[in-house]
Amino acid sequence: MKKLFALLSLLVLASMLLAACGSPAPVATEAPAATEAAVTEPVTMDFVVWSYGIETITDNIKNFQELNPNITINLKDYSWLDYHDTMVGAFAANNSPYLLYGSDHWLNEWAAAGWLVPLDKYCPNVKEYSKEVAPYALQGMTYNGEVYGVSYYADTMDFVYNDTLLQKAGFTTAPATLDDVYTQAKELKAKGVNEYPIIMAWSQKEGAFPEAWTSLVFAQQEGGNALFDAELNPVFNKEGSAAFDVMEWLRKVYTEGLLDPASLSMAEIDQVKSMQAGAHTFTIVPQYNMAELNKPGSGDFAGNFKIALMPGSSQSTVGYVRFYAMTQKVVDAGPDYIAAACKFMDYFGGKTNGDYTVVKRWAVENGLGFAQLPLFDDAGVIEAFGKWGDVPTIKQQATLARAKEGLAPWYGSWDVFARSEIHKGILGEQSSLDTLNNMADQWNELKAAQ
Amino acid sequence: MSIIRTANGSLHRNVSRVFERFYPYASVLPALLVIVLFTIYPVVYAVRISFYQYILTKPNSHPFVGLNNFQDVITSYYFKNSLINTGIYTIASVTGVMIFGLIVAMLLNTKIRSVNALKIIILLPWAIPAVVAGLMWKWIVNSDFGILNGILYSLGAIESYIPFLADPVLAKVSLIMAHIWKEGPLAAIFILAGLQLIPNEFYEAAKIDGGSGLLVFRYITLPLLRPILLVVVVYETMTAILTFDLVYVLTGGGPADSTSLISWFAYAEIYKFLNLGAGIALSIIIALITLILIILYMRALKTEDTIS
Repeated sequence: MKKLFALLSLLVLASMLLAACGSPAPVATEAPAATEAAVTEPVTMDFVVWSYGIETITDNIKNFQELNPNITINLKDYSWLDYHDTMVGAFAANNSPYLLYGSDHWLNEWAAAGWLVPLDKYCPNVKEYSKEVAPYALQGMTYNGEVYGVSYYADTMDFVYNDTLLQKAGFTTAPATLDDVYTQAKELKAKGVNEYPIIMAWSQKEGAFPEAWTSLVFAQQEGGNALFDAELNPVFNKEGSAAFDVMEWLRKVYTEGLLDPASLSMAEIDQVKSMQAGAHTFTIVPQYNMAELNKPGSGDFAGNFKIALMPGSSQSTVGYVRFYAMTQKVVDAGPDYIAAACKFMDYFGGKTNGDYTVVKRWAVENGLGFAQLPLFDDAGVIEAFGKWGDVPTIKQQATLARAKEGLAPWYGSWDVFARSEIHKGILGEQSSLDTLNNMADQWNELKAAQ
Repeated sequence: MSIIRTANGSLHRNVSRVFERFYPYASVLPALLVIVLFTIYPVVYAVRISFYQYILTKPNSHPFVGLNNFQDVITSYYFKNSLINTGIYTIASVTGVMIFGLIVAMLLNTKIRSVNALKIIILLPWAIPAVVAGLMWKWIVNSDFGILNGILYSLGAIESYIPFLADPVLAKVSLIMAHIWKEGPLAAIFILAGLQLIPNEFYEAAKIDGGSGLLVFRYITLPLLRPILLVVVVYETMTAILTFDLVYVLTGGGPADSTSLISWFAYAEIYKFLNLGAGIALSIIIALITLILIILYMRALKTEDTIS
């Protein structure tokens, strides 16, 4: 008994020690005045990104630091596929960075938890930038009426086809509806152009999977509320809905061997390579892939990949936004850190000397889309985009784009569930209606739990 | 003077008695502290959290919910399916690893040339991190350029490349194959060590009595290997039940959750659904299942020892 008491005492002591070693409680800091403050003391902040264009980011940081010698930025990067989970781990362990990349589909989750802080509350220039941002992108960066980011890039999910292969099958125009896609895919298969004319990157781990599926749904519906009504109630789980039609179509193209079965384990990078090899004619990809698809020397079909408006009656699609965000840690660190973070936001997602310098660089050098509307009229951007795409079509698709519906704090959890349900529907393990009913039930359950 | 000496002696004896009494405790204290800090405290803390609602997006609200987390997990949409998947995966993987290990160990136990070099080479897959092994297998079974498809196609066994990871059954098989490849070598080395402990006289006596290879295996090798086999079975069962990294890299749980094992959902509960309480409750359930299986194995071993 004595031994047990001694052991328990040790346990309690150890717990107290651990608790004492924990981080101090956050100190509330008042929002700054309406004009941006100067950085009076040297400030060092870490900036976490997903692993893309690291050399460009490093160079941008170097340029930023030259302009702001008082500010030092330390860059860390994680794989896109692990990014969300890694950041959640960091936030939960009270080890968040100062600055980081965010995405529209995580914003509600992260903002509701208090991990991110609204930029427009602390950085006065953000309000001005927001006026020039495409509505779908602004919506994707807004939570509870406050703006939490400045756009790193914004893009649309685009329907892409290989024009050479399509012409080989005898078609001179791109498909405008899902029926057209089906008819043309059948012909492509019948003529032996492709074994599987359609490919998707719909591995359960692939982040762009729900966005591509939602794009198909949006394209079949005139107006909003394709998935949820204004009170966030599911409206998609009924026969004849846009989502139902999409599920039926997917099942049809899968069973008839038009959709590559490998789509269910495919990641985006493999999807692009597969398209470049000419193994497929149709796909849906985030638009930035067009620069890679049509890159000279990237394959026999470079220069022949074209964007068609998303097949469907409305030709709408998903527009999404990835953005620069700051965490509560900046606010807790005090006014100098807030001022430094605002300067960072100005440089990376806003204007330097009146120009969107960094955003334009990403667009011109990497083909990343953007939410800052004035850039559509920028001669440099038009010239760069014209090398791999048809600028009027890109602009038209961007105009038709809508933000994802149902961006609630539980969207991330539902998204994970929905992926496997869509798989089951495509594989025929359950009917389209059962698939949609299961998705709706899970949504309602998650909503009720909040 | 003598009084002082007596007092000094008494003090010395007392100090020495106290020292002798507490020295053992002081000796183990550093190790105990490390264990308490890094093992006992986290476990106790985790068990405590499993009784609270701990949703990461609600950092300021953690009400006590008793056994609700456990109930939620058990009645969740994934529990039954992932338990079945884990059962199939564990049985197939452990069986495969044992057969592979036994065959390789018996081959390595023969007097073939370069056997020592082979013993090292055979361990390589085990030494490779699971994430790397997962990536290698992802390439091996790739539907566009995978070597497995290439071999099957060139042998005329298939007409077109098979998307192994996109079919619910084949994805399971691929995962099991990868696990056997990764874990088999360690089992082989354990079993080989067991084989080398069996005295040669037994085999010689059996040979004199005219025992065939199969009978010798059945009545000498297998019974004498049983303790080692049991240790390997226990270890491999635990490894299979707790498999996570291979699934994460190779299939991500798909397609259609066909390769989603129970440990995957412990991860998903915390990092995808952001429900720490439920994730820990599920982890405790997994630990209990593993513990029960190990107790059953141990009892089986004890019973066999008693019989023998």
